[in-house]
Amino acid sequence: MGESILTAQNLSKVVPSTEGELTILHPLSLELHKGDSLAIVGASGSGKSTLLGLLAGLDLPSQGEVILAGHALSTLDEDQRARVRAEHVGFVFQSFQLLDSLNALENVMLPLELDGRKDAREHARHLLERVGLGQRLSHSPRQLSGGEQQRVAIARAFAANPDVLFADEPTGNLDSHTGERITDLLFELNKEQGTTLVLVTHDERLAHRCRRLIRLDAGHLVGPLEP
Amino acid sequence: MARLPLLRMISLAFRQLLRDARAGELRVLFFALLVAVAASTAIGYFGARLNGAMVLRATEFLGADLVLEGSSPAREEQIKVGKELGLQHAQIVEFSSVIATDNGIQLSSVKAADSAYPLRGALKSAAQPFAQEKPGGGPTSGEAWVEPRLLTALDLHVGDAIDVGSKTVKVTRVLTYEPDRAGNFYSLTPRVLINLDDLKATGIVQPGSRVSFRELWRGETPALESYRQTIKPGLDANQRLLDGRDGNQQIGGALGKAERYLNMASLVAVLLAGVAVALSATRFANRRFDASALLRCLGLSRRETLWLFALQLAILGLLASLAGALLGWFAQLGLFALLHDLLPADVPPGGLMPAIAGMGTGLVALAGFALPPLAALGRVPPLRVLRRDILPIPASTWSVYGAALLALGLIMWRMSLDLVLTFALLGGGVIAALLLGSLLLLGLQGLRRGLAGASLPWRLGLGQLLRQPLAAAGQALAFGLILLSMALIALLRGELLDTWQNQLPKDAPNYFALNILPVDKDTFGARLHELQAQAAPLYPVVPGRLISINGEPVQELVTKDSSGDKAVQRDLSLTWAADLPEGNELTAGQWWTAQPTGDVPGVSVEAKVAESLKLKLGDHLVFTVAGVNREAQVTSLRSINWDNFQPNFFMIFQPGTLQDLPTTYLTSFYLAPGHDKEIIELSRSFPAVTILPIDALLEQLRSILAQVTIAIEYVLLFVLAAGMAVLFSGLQSTLDERIRQGALLRALGAERQLLIKARRIEFGLLGATSGLLAALGAELVSLALYRYAFDLPWHPHPWLLLLPVIGAVMVGGAGVFGTRRALNASPLTVLREG
Repeated sequence: MGESILTAQNLSKVVPSTEGELTILHPLSLELHKGDSLAIVGASGSGKSTLLGLLAGLDLPSQGEVILAGHALSTLDEDQRARVRAEHVGFVFQSFQLLDSLNALENVMLPLELDGRKDAREHARHLLERVGLGQRLSHSPRQLSGGEQQRVAIARAFAANPDVLFADEPTGNLDSHTGERITDLLFELNKEQGTTLVLVTHDERLAHRCRRLIRLDAGHLVGPLEP
Repeated sequence: MARLPLLRMISLAFRQLLRDARAGELRVLFFALLVAVAASTAIGYFGARLNGAMVLRATEFLGADLVLEGSSPAREEQIKVGKELGLQHAQIVEFSSVIATDNGIQLSSVKAADSAYPLRGALKSAAQPFAQEKPGGGPTSGEAWVEPRLLTALDLHVGDAIDVGSKTVKVTRVLTYEPDRAGNFYSLTPRVLINLDDLKATGIVQPGSRVSFRELWRGETPALESYRQTIKPGLDANQRLLDGRDGNQQIGGALGKAERYLNMASLVAVLLAGVAVALSATRFANRRFDASALLRCLGLSRRETLWLFALQLAILGLLASLAGALLGWFAQLGLFALLHDLLPADVPPGGLMPAIAGMGTGLVALAGFALPPLAALGRVPPLRVLRRDILPIPASTWSVYGAALLALGLIMWRMSLDLVLTFALLGGGVIAALLLGSLLLLGLQGLRRGLAGASLPWRLGLGQLLRQPLAAAGQALAFGLILLSMALIALLRGELLDTWQNQLPKDAPNYFALNILPVDKDTFGARLHELQAQAAPLYPVVPGRLISINGEPVQELVTKDSSGDKAVQRDLSLTWAADLPEGNELTAGQWWTAQPTGDVPGVSVEAKVAESLKLKLGDHLVFTVAGVNREAQVTSLRSINWDNFQPNFFMIFQPGTLQDLPTTYLTSFYLAPGHDKEIIELSRSFPAVTILPIDALLEQLRSILAQVTIAIEYVLLFVLAAGMAVLFSGLQSTLDERIRQGALLRALGAERQLLIKARRIEFGLLGATSGLLAALGAELVSLALYRYAFDLPWHPHPWLLLLPVIGAVMVGGAGVFGTRRALNASPLTVLREG
């Protein structure tokens, strides 16, 4: 087992609501090592996405701490957390989150351009070829099918060579066959690049391909299960 | 900005902008900015170039450094003083006269100048119309230089002979430029320049004729000042001293009005474009919520994200402003071309300032209208990538509207340079928009209730309007304003002039005859009788100037801007009459029944002049007439029907009081069309008499009016373009929702035709509402204009009811066109996107 890349200690989230405070995530702790893969499963509203947001530093916990690549996220301000994300984190979303005004190649180039990489175009092209879209570089997201869009999103997520890849329902908007192929791709790249994978999913088959799995129910951890 | 250095940020922003532009995201924003900058640049150039022309000619404006002008020749000693001071001297005499040829007659403005004229600047002339012009020289004895339009009017060629009074001269060159006519924008009659040596032979200038004598002086400032000081105390009442500054002031007033009007028109364009900028910038921001959240996920800080978008907008603003400034520069060329007859021929280029100011206008509008929605992008939480329902905390309403109002205020202030006017317009505009907007909202709500049971397309179309009632009211107001402006132009151009002309009786005089000498009086009257011309009586005329009222000098009583000014700044035609002339009505006092009894004769004063000079019955007036002072007491006030084309007088004296003074006569007469030959003969037999053809004057007035209205319509094109930008930006901001709604309806089985129908209803209603507003507004304004400005009986204009139809067709067409994507999008693609 390699060194620890992502640790959560007593993480909880409480939000104000009309009926007083509402705990959407009860305290939980976990630790992930480099190259690990973790699936977070649970019903709608069980707190899966909340946990993902906290782990990725998109949101701050009410209590507890997240240590991502050695950085205690609650001690950082939003901009410092953004730096941590830039250096260590990649994302894949259920709704793909491709920019409509950019074509497939440009979407993948975006994080590389932000990083000032001179070889952004070549590298992005290479990644798109790797995910099987070498022929569709100049297509806009609207011209691509759901599966193709998600492949572009995966290429973009791996472009900056992240330490941790967070995926929020990556197959949620896809049919089962396409979902299967996307899952394969995700795990292949994960293996090739030694990335740590954290994914939220409804899809039990996808969840069971991860090395570790936690199940949430109404904000409670109902047991970490080893596969 | 540790992660992204500025240069990389700019390059990123630029690339991002290009990609957005390619995706068609920025068209409306770009267009709105383009219109705002082009309108303000074009008008800026117009004003700056005209001012430039004035400044350039500050000294040559009068063709001299100092001019002594009078309605009688300068006295010997007045000229002697100047010559003794070593000043250069030139002499000109100007008057109106009919130029007769075998082809017809043309009222012209004749200038007789000696060979020293002009002392500043130079004449320019050409051998043929439109040929290469050459500076310098002047007509020698027996020659005439004439403006090209005289050649056109009389079908003449260089080399032909023309009669100026009794003198026949040969047209030797085409006059293209006179330094002292530079600012004379409203010259109705063409210029004929002859040599002063020929003046006597024309026989036109007789005692009592209406003539302007000008002594031109040039020299060193101390000598000029000393000349001024020496002759000032001894100036006759009909004489005045002019220098370049005076001339500029006069022109400045006329120009200022034109410029201010154009400024207002372009201000409306800039305001509308500003609204369009605001709408499209809001859409720009809204559509980048996802991108902003994504960039934050990708590691950009809040500041960097904001900078990236702000830079994109700034680059866009700069590009659009550059293009707009260029367009504005071309547009002002068009404006000058349209007004070429009214403006000086060689106007200097306006430099870079108007373009820079125009671009500034665009950038300020962009900053004021786009920064508040842009600021929202910095507040998009990155968590939005997981939960799309998360929206940024909205900016406070005050900061949004405050920034917009501040930007508007700055722009208006720059364009009007008048703080009070800016506040008044801004305040008035906001209040009017609120009032009319609320009315429209109420109307829309009323419609909603009325249409509750209507068919599906009506409910869909109206529902769309009511979904964003503020936007709908704003668009209706914007289009209402555009249609209103256009309707008013149409109304003013065609109808007012026609109404006025139709009011004239059929046999209203079509000629005026002035400067009829006492010796010619009876023969001229007899000739008119022979010609069976229906002539008014021959009125005696003595030119005189009002110099004091109840012992106080008039100049001190009359403030510069009062309308009474006109009556005291120039010679009046004084007359006497035993009976109250036709078309005159007493409003106060008594008409005299007998010869004067006391020492001071009575005078009857026209009521409006009396009002502006604050004259009452019994006031004691002093006039200066041909160098002597004459007193009179106000015994009655009269109103005059000016539209009857009869000779009318501000001041009528009791008979027998001015008879000893040099007198000429004037009359008006009607001669049926087709008697040009007789008129030519008449003017040849009576060379001193000035015959004014009224038809021709009216025709010239009409053509000038046409030019001016074309120029106004031209500026209104910007307003229309800005209005279109508002409509399209409004459409764009609802496009995503429309596409989704359209797809949903089609998925539910609605036919495309239903959607088209609903759109037609929606935009048709919007356009019809604008048209209705415009029709009501135009009718109200026309009522005020007819009643108060033109003093004409008002009648309703049923054709204004076409405006709602025009509005419905225009806005309806543009609306259906602008939302065609919502009709054509495949329901499947749209719904799959969720």
